[in-house]
Amino acid sequence: MNVTCSERERIFEDGTRAEWAALETHAASCPFCTEEIRGWKSLSVAAKELREYSDSPSFWPRIERAFAEEAARNAQRAERKSWFWFLPSFSAAWQTALAGALVLVLTISGGWIYFHRPIQKIDNDKSLLKSSALNEVEAAESSYERAIDKLAAEAKPQLENPATPLLANYHEKLLVLDSAIAELRAQAGLNPSNAQLRYQLLAMYQEKQRALEEVLEAKP
Amino acid sequence: MGTMGLALPWRARISSTLRERGTRVEPSEHLAGGPSPAARDALSEDAALAAGCRSGDLHAYERLYRMHGARMKNLARNVLGNPTDAEDAVQEAFLKVQRGIASFRGQSSFVTWTYRILINTCYDARRSRQRKKEVANDDSEETPRLEPRAPGAHPTLRMALERALEKLTRHQRDVFLLYEVEGFRHAEIAGMLEMTETASKNTLFQAKKNLRMMLEPPRSSAAESR
Repeated sequence: MNVTCSERERIFEDGTRAEWAALETHAASCPFCTEEIRGWKSLSVAAKELREYSDSPSFWPRIERAFAEEAARNAQRAERKSWFWFLPSFSAAWQTALAGALVLVLTISGGWIYFHRPIQKIDNDKSLLKSSALNEVEAAESSYERAIDKLAAEAKPQLENPATPLLANYHEKLLVLDSAIAELRAQAGLNPSNAQLRYQLLAMYQEKQRALEEVLEAKP
Repeated sequence: MGTMGLALPWRARISSTLRERGTRVEPSEHLAGGPSPAARDALSEDAALAAGCRSGDLHAYERLYRMHGARMKNLARNVLGNPTDAEDAVQEAFLKVQRGIASFRGQSSFVTWTYRILINTCYDARRSRQRKKEVANDDSEETPRLEPRAPGAHPTLRMALERALEKLTRHQRDVFLLYEVEGFRHAEIAGMLEMTETASKNTLFQAKKNLRMMLEPPRSSAAESR
């Protein structure tokens, strides 16, 4: 077999034994190929410098210890089993599926509660007034207050100079009622949507109205 | 590409015994018939080793270590650059073999599979080391710490080769180390690196060409033209 310089690299890459022998024969009369072959083979020789097979007596015992530790960890894991340890017949895949289903149920329940809770609260809590209802209440309150003020103006002369002890008592009662009304109005101002306060205020106005009517009826 | 600036000229680094050393040619390529009795023995040994390890026999793992431990450690040391990391990687590879033996289907030889695990473990360790370096704001390039080896070897040549190897691509470095240093055949390397045998040969060729370019002094233009 005869080879030429042009075949050298192909033989370097994937040459057969016979091709290498032919290249060596060719190199005997070709200084460049001689040098190339020497350079190529020198890398194989140099690579042996990176070979250092030293036996470390402590290394296998160390690996053995690692095996033992791993086995101990596996045994612990087996003892703990898994989430559904009380259902030993279920495989890990089934346990995962069950856990997934449980999470899904909890998510749906939580979602349902979340989306329904605020609506229920608004509908069921009668003590809070919506803004349109609040406007109506405040308008009615103002007109009612004005009417009672007119009544109070009529009864004023009798109350300022009470002719009888009964009228003096009415005067004191009305002062107490005015004070309670003022306090309730202040609270209603802070919490205008609270219907309970409004009901209490209405009761106070009604009581004041009754007291004033009785004062006017007691007119000599 | 620059040279490595070796203290010794290239000619001086090459020993006079070079011509006596033959070039390895894959024996399997020239076989006319089936596998040789030695190859058959190796196959049955490999199968026995795999069966022993699969059954959890610690002696099988010890046999694997006795047969390949030193070579595994040497390979890991050449990839990682120091013996401490190399021992960690070999230990981790043994543990991974034990964990994964149930999934070993025998598509490659057991030993080939073990080396594949080792190589992947080494590169995982390199990446982990690189990440730690980045976290520590060390902007130096990732190169394994090249620790001094046993006396008697040619330190300058070895060091130059180690540094040149770091400049190769991962596959070129792996194929060079497995073929030239550890003495594996291309068929085995192909199994370890999940490439074809032809790709392994070509990668080795490219690796050696690149190494020569890095390690040899520039040639004269007259010689280059040939």
